[in-house]
Amino acid sequence: MRVLAPNGEEKTLMALNIGPSHGATHGCLRYMTALDGENIVASVGEIGYLHRGFEKMAERGTWQQVIPFTDRLNYCSAMMNNFAYCHAVEQMLGIDLPERAKVLRVIVNELSRIADHFICVAAAAQDLGSTTGFFYMFDSREMIMVIWEKLTGARLTNSYGRIGGLYRDTYEGFENDVLAVCKQVGKNLHDLHACFDRNRIFLDRTVGIGVMPAKRAIEWGWTGPCLRACGVASDVRKDEPYYDYETYDWNVVTGTKGDVYDRLMVRLAEAEESVKIVQQALKRLQPGPVSVDDPRIRVPSHESAYQDMEALAGRFKTVFEGIRVPAGEYYSGSEVANGELGFTLVSDGSGKPWRVKVRPPCFTQFAAFHELVEGSLLADSIACLSSINIIAGELDR
Amino acid sequence: MSSDCENQVKEPVVATAEARRAFESSAFACLEKEFGAVRSDKDSWGLTAVIAADKLRDSVLFLKNDPQFQMDMLVDIAGVDYLGFEDYAGPRFAVLYMFKSVYLPAHRLSLKVFVSEADLKVPTISDIYPIANWQEREVFDQFGVIFVGHPDLRRILNHVEFVGNPLRKDYPAHRRQWLSTNDYMLPVLEARLEAKGYKILSRSKEILPNEEEYLTGSIKK
Amino acid sequence: MTAEAQESNFFTSKLDFVVNWGRKNSLWPFPYGTACCAIEFMSTESSRYDLSRIGSEYVRFTPRQSDVLAVEGTITYKQAPILKRIYEQLAEPKWVVCMGACATSGGVYDCYCTVPGIDNIIPVDVYIGGCPPRPESFFDAMFDLQNKIMDESYMKQRTERVKEQLEAIKAKTLECKAELAEFSHEKVNEIKAGVGDLKAAAIRKAEFWKENP
Repeated sequence: MRVLAPNGEEKTLMALNIGPSHGATHGCLRYMTALDGENIVASVGEIGYLHRGFEKMAERGTWQQVIPFTDRLNYCSAMMNNFAYCHAVEQMLGIDLPERAKVLRVIVNELSRIADHFICVAAAAQDLGSTTGFFYMFDSREMIMVIWEKLTGARLTNSYGRIGGLYRDTYEGFENDVLAVCKQVGKNLHDLHACFDRNRIFLDRTVGIGVMPAKRAIEWGWTGPCLRACGVASDVRKDEPYYDYETYDWNVVTGTKGDVYDRLMVRLAEAEESVKIVQQALKRLQPGPVSVDDPRIRVPSHESAYQDMEALAGRFKTVFEGIRVPAGEYYSGSEVANGELGFTLVSDGSGKPWRVKVRPPCFTQFAAFHELVEGSLLADSIACLSSINIIAGELDR
Repeated sequence: MSSDCENQVKEPVVATAEARRAFESSAFACLEKEFGAVRSDKDSWGLTAVIAADKLRDSVLFLKNDPQFQMDMLVDIAGVDYLGFEDYAGPRFAVLYMFKSVYLPAHRLSLKVFVSEADLKVPTISDIYPIANWQEREVFDQFGVIFVGHPDLRRILNHVEFVGNPLRKDYPAHRRQWLSTNDYMLPVLEARLEAKGYKILSRSKEILPNEEEYLTGSIKK
Repeated sequence: MTAEAQESNFFTSKLDFVVNWGRKNSLWPFPYGTACCAIEFMSTESSRYDLSRIGSEYVRFTPRQSDVLAVEGTITYKQAPILKRIYEQLAEPKWVVCMGACATSGGVYDCYCTVPGIDNIIPVDVYIGGCPPRPESFFDAMFDLQNKIMDESYMKQRTERVKEQLEAIKAKTLECKAELAEFSHEKVNEIKAGVGDLKAAAIRKAEFWKENP
């Protein structure tokens, strides 16, 4: 298209479409750029290619039946979404979890965070041309997957969280597996830093690219590692602690400039912090119940249902009618790998949710994508896109 | 790593229940005095203030700029449809705005604006918080609430040929709507260029599928 | 194409075998990854499961260089035209692997925006169940696809293609013939009118050469 630039120069710009099926768009987003040579003059984003109707589906079932759908929001760290949702409902119900459930949730949360950050950095490495990094990352991720499989029976979409606790207790040897993973993650991180830290190509592609000032990031509603990379130590785990996160010894990692390098390195450093939390949590793991003992909230076990009339009735009622969440509207945000995952829940007092609205963390990040890339090179837009870690499942719900 | 650039340095501050209660009472007192807000009886866990639609922009600006509150982040905008809600009499729709303060972690509140079916208009806040642009588009897409003054009110999650608003309670969940062709983005790109001060001299044509529509092609029976 | 070539003989069946063997061991996938299944596909291709063991190490993100369209994840109505477009862009020979419950039937998403199975849009060769399927399932599907490829006959496909082309040529020829006939009919009349003049001229010429040898 022929345009007249603001400085009075007449130019021919090229409109280039990227996505929705593109190797670097991680799922299905789409953005269109106007190119002047290789420089991006303007960019617009388009989402909705994976809009699967989560919010409509959630209104059709009971409160518990939403849990499998939450798995598929951020499928890289499915269980964190389970827990975020369960946490929101638990806060509405006003119940407190048993100690073991809390500690287990912390362990699972942090391992999921590691897996999620690793996928993000692996994909970014892949997009920047470093397949080695990709393979290193998937190494320890596969180990975490094996734990998930033993723990929940599924590799990716686990549905381990339940309102008022967890699906089931851990298996024998869980602690050793987790410790082995911590060791492996440390080793992989060491390898990765060896790969990237003094790698000229990596540094040239990432340092100073896609800078987002902190003030602007807050206005855009950025949360999580992307906001922390801008130098703002904002973390829901620290600010509004849940699951006793304040009692663990860990640091909020922040970057300095808010460029692609910071966003990726904050993720790697956060994985280290997560390892620290997991190691501390393992020491606190004491035997005990993993769910609240309330037949109105948590489905009684099979064993008790076969022997006890009340347990059978409780099982029947919780499954068919659902949990009676007090009527009202509530917003609850939890820190997941990408940022603050919020659930706005509207209950009318029956067993079904009236409205479940998800606040996806990467929605805000992709909304600001044009600010990151305008003025930079086309190839840098790929680095920017992989550094903000868009997961289409939660972006479009 | 620590921050040493021009950004305001944020040290982690833990939100206590006392701080939250103090914030809620003072914020609500201000909102009630200045904008006639009413505390929502539906939210017994935090603070939800019901605001009239014409006071929304003023109250949002006040909350954002007041040094006492510093609600610098718009977390989310959610639409709610109350059609068939038990024991409910009032406007059919509501739009919920969730705010939080990044530097003062105890500060979280929601504003609620009721929208009647006859007059689906709410003023936009997309010039105050840029993220509201997309979030308002989503509410418009899913509920049909019109945000007056929004620069680019289009569908965001559903496709261009979609008819109706899927998250309204009277939209059947199974009403499927095929899309016959692709979405066009060149006009949007040109609008973005124009917003940046460029003047379009000759527009390029969208490359359209040359033959019949994709989904009525040879393969689908 | 003669009838002999359509029947399988030693030469054609061996050729089929060689071609199919080559094809089945170099299936380059095009991952049309939209959702969760794409992450499992990434696991499949990474070091622990290693898809390159069956010759699929090159994951091509362009339809022009790939053989297998692996549809991984939910297809929504907004995406349906794009998927169809990509299928049409794939060069022959092409196969489609439909990974996961969502792509197969819509899965858990029985809703206003998800396509209930991509077979509404494009033909599918192999379906994989699971939400998401394990990497082993993907391997299983690839093995199924390999078996399917071994059953294909390269020569038969070629004959069919040639037949189609021949039929098209025949139809075109008939059309051209009809046009030509009409055209020539007019021309013949014109020529008939002019033939008398030509005859006279020729006689005159002959007589002239007879008189002046």
